[in-house]
Amino acid sequence: MKPKSKKTLLNHYSQWKYWLLISTLVILFLSALPSWYGEDAAVQLSSKSSHTLSSEHVYQVLNQAGISSKRIEQKQQNVLVVLQDQNQQMLAKNTLINEFEKQAQVTLSLSPAAPTWLLNMGFEPIKLGLDLRGGVQFLLDVDLDLVFRQQSIMVGDSLKQFVRKQHITGVSIHSGDSAEVTVDLTLPEARGLIRQFIAEQYPLWQVTGQKNRLYVALSENEKVKLTNLTVQQNLQIMRSRIEELGITEALVQRQGENRIRIELPGVQDPATAKNVIGATASLAFYPVLENGSVNALVLKDQANNPIYVARTPVLAGDHIVDARAATGDFGMAKVNISLDSAGGKLMSDFSRDNIGKPMATSYSEYSRNSLGKSQQTTKVISVATIQSQLGNNFEITGVGSHQEAQQLALLLRAGSMTAPVTIIEERTIGPSLGAENIVNGFAALALGMSLTLLFMACWYRRLGWIANIALIANMVMLFGLLALIPGAVLTLPGIAGLVLTVGMAVDTNVLIFERIKDKLAEGRSFASAIDVGFDSAFSTIFDANFTTMITAVVLFSIGNGPIQGFALTLGLGLLTSMFTGIFASRAIINLVYGRDTRHAIKV
Amino acid sequence: MNSTQMNNTIDKLKFLTKWRYASSILSIALMLLSLGIIGIKGFNWGLDFTGGVVTEIQLDKRITASEIQPLMVAAYQQEVSVISASEPGRWVLRYANIPDENQRPELLTVLAPLQSDINVLNSSIVGPQVGQELVEQGGLALLMAMLCIMGYLSYRFEWRLASGALLALVHDVVFVLAFFALSQLEFNLTVLAAILAILGYSLNDSIIIADRIREQLVIKPQWNITDINNLAVKSTFSRTMVTSGTTLLTVVALWIMGGAPLEGFSIAMFIGILTGTWSSISIGATFPELLGLNSDHYRVIPLPVTP
Repeated sequence: MKPKSKKTLLNHYSQWKYWLLISTLVILFLSALPSWYGEDAAVQLSSKSSHTLSSEHVYQVLNQAGISSKRIEQKQQNVLVVLQDQNQQMLAKNTLINEFEKQAQVTLSLSPAAPTWLLNMGFEPIKLGLDLRGGVQFLLDVDLDLVFRQQSIMVGDSLKQFVRKQHITGVSIHSGDSAEVTVDLTLPEARGLIRQFIAEQYPLWQVTGQKNRLYVALSENEKVKLTNLTVQQNLQIMRSRIEELGITEALVQRQGENRIRIELPGVQDPATAKNVIGATASLAFYPVLENGSVNALVLKDQANNPIYVARTPVLAGDHIVDARAATGDFGMAKVNISLDSAGGKLMSDFSRDNIGKPMATSYSEYSRNSLGKSQQTTKVISVATIQSQLGNNFEITGVGSHQEAQQLALLLRAGSMTAPVTIIEERTIGPSLGAENIVNGFAALALGMSLTLLFMACWYRRLGWIANIALIANMVMLFGLLALIPGAVLTLPGIAGLVLTVGMAVDTNVLIFERIKDKLAEGRSFASAIDVGFDSAFSTIFDANFTTMITAVVLFSIGNGPIQGFALTLGLGLLTSMFTGIFASRAIINLVYGRDTRHAIKV
Repeated sequence: MNSTQMNNTIDKLKFLTKWRYASSILSIALMLLSLGIIGIKGFNWGLDFTGGVVTEIQLDKRITASEIQPLMVAAYQQEVSVISASEPGRWVLRYANIPDENQRPELLTVLAPLQSDINVLNSSIVGPQVGQELVEQGGLALLMAMLCIMGYLSYRFEWRLASGALLALVHDVVFVLAFFALSQLEFNLTVLAAILAILGYSLNDSIIIADRIREQLVIKPQWNITDINNLAVKSTFSRTMVTSGTTLLTVVALWIMGGAPLEGFSIAMFIGILTGTWSSISIGATFPELLGLNSDHYRVIPLPVTP
């Protein structure tokens, strides 16, 4: 600190700092604004085919059912009906399904109620957690053990075959109890052979152990990869199923290593949702017959073209143990498939007799629709020509781009290796309770805020109103940030965090003001007391906030939805309170009292 | 400041020493008592940690718990806790989950003899493994937070000051836990969140006093530590009261208006803030004194003039 420059610039902020401050506040204020207006319940119709839906028709249908709408928006092939009354949402959905079932997919949705100019600027309301909105939440457990056991059975089986073929004696192979295959051997020569076989056939597997006992297991790296693949594929399946349920705002995300959290806002009946989530998928390989063959099964491919296949499949997907996308000769995408031994036998027999002929792969899913009827959907995901006799491991080429190959591998695994999923947590929050929570939470915020404002105004008088402006700016920034940060969700504990922030945020100003008082008592002028007061309080403010920040970060890492909401508002609140308490309030104080050279004034 | 003035200040603050020591003894006694209470009573763990089923329903106001209980017990073949919620006619039912969905009696059918149109406000089913995991995660989070804070404190402060702040922290957490053990209020996830928030908050007060002690030790190396502590407590007292006051005000607002779901959180925060303020003086400032903190620990050591 050079005393010379200090003297000329005492309590002076350059212009750009004011611009920065004002523009930050204005942007965050605009961002916070849509949340004030809230959201309206809406129903969306997305056209299944190319012809557009007429919004007049929709209006008439709703009118007849006695449902009043705020507005009906037409966007390309979609029609969005914004309802007057939130309670009519389900009624509106069912009415529209009855009328438009063939032409459109009807989904529940929400529409921001803020004026259009605000929304056009890209600002959106704060997303509310289920505890504030009402809805159903599921936590699913993906059973990875079973996947690992299946893998170990596959390797164990093929190792047994190898041992039999090579006439190696004195070997006993055990698999399926855990993720690893145990090999007991009496002759040491066999060890090398087994090691070599694994290295050649299953390069991802590692052989450990000594002397008479070997363990064959996936390397840790591969286990993590397999876990990620399995969970991701389950996520994918869940997402597409929930789309079928007609909830656009649904959240499907991974939680921890092998958990999936599904949040379905607006859903009141967990039973229907459970049916859909618990649906099963399967996969089969069919010989393809000529077009128009009699006594054939007609399946549709992804482009809705008919494919004629034999009535019985060569083998079903339960024989598939793994499928991975890979790059083949000439950089072509392909999918490597591993079958269990029974499946390998079936496939090898079939392919030997049918070289040069096409084979179709179909994917089917059993699920229940929103009306509770069980339904099966089957579609052909690929048709490929058999190049040679196939064994346990074979590849499908001609699968399109690399991305499509990835997708296919995912679907193939989906039909087979999909780990069983169980619902381990289920929470339903009624919409009235959600609304009640919002009212209670914000009432507490309003009361806490007004008590604090009143207290600060009375206690510090001259400087108190500056602390109050800083506090209000702090709240505006917090709401603005919550709306702006993608993925930020406001929960009931989150509101508690906001309320707590109000009480703690003034601490920054209190610390500074107390320092200023001290400095005034030492006989400095007001202006110089302000300067020294801000400087000397800074390190204390930083220390105090930093430790709270540590706990906020730790809380966030627990990963429970509502608690994350608390950690988020607490952490953000610390940042914004430092910004407004130090920077914003200094900016105001500089303008108003920065040149005040009086001594011995009371603050 | 000349020496007479200095002596005056020291004398004026002498009375604080006695008070500080008395409060320390009280704090230590309370802490031991708290540990005892936790050991004996244990916690009333919430659904988040134990797993099970909790359903909140709205019934006719005239229906009583003694009517609900027998129906529930008969249907679920286990002890069912029926607790009256915040409003008349609202009940919270809690029981262990029956894993097999086909054998699980439908709640609405069970209670149908009482009322046909029951309004289910919310319901939660938590599997036992989730609860177990959360206990582990929560414990780990608490430990992690403590370790991080310890790391930061020992980096920023001399170890004697740091351990004072840390002991104050342990004091606060133990005290809040003991309150929950004694009152048998439900210990759920939001209470855990409150405990972690208290960790951060209680430290604020201790740190602010520790900061002052450090600052004064450097400025007034000739003072003895007891007087420095008295001065530090005195000069931060008004700030401590104002901040604790405003935070208490908002927590009380949350307690009054926040409704049942935030009740445990508000109570935990309220007690945490009170003891946090108390312990920052009784332990945070006094404990380092016992450990022999003096101005030598903050003397500026000139760098050796070796090239």
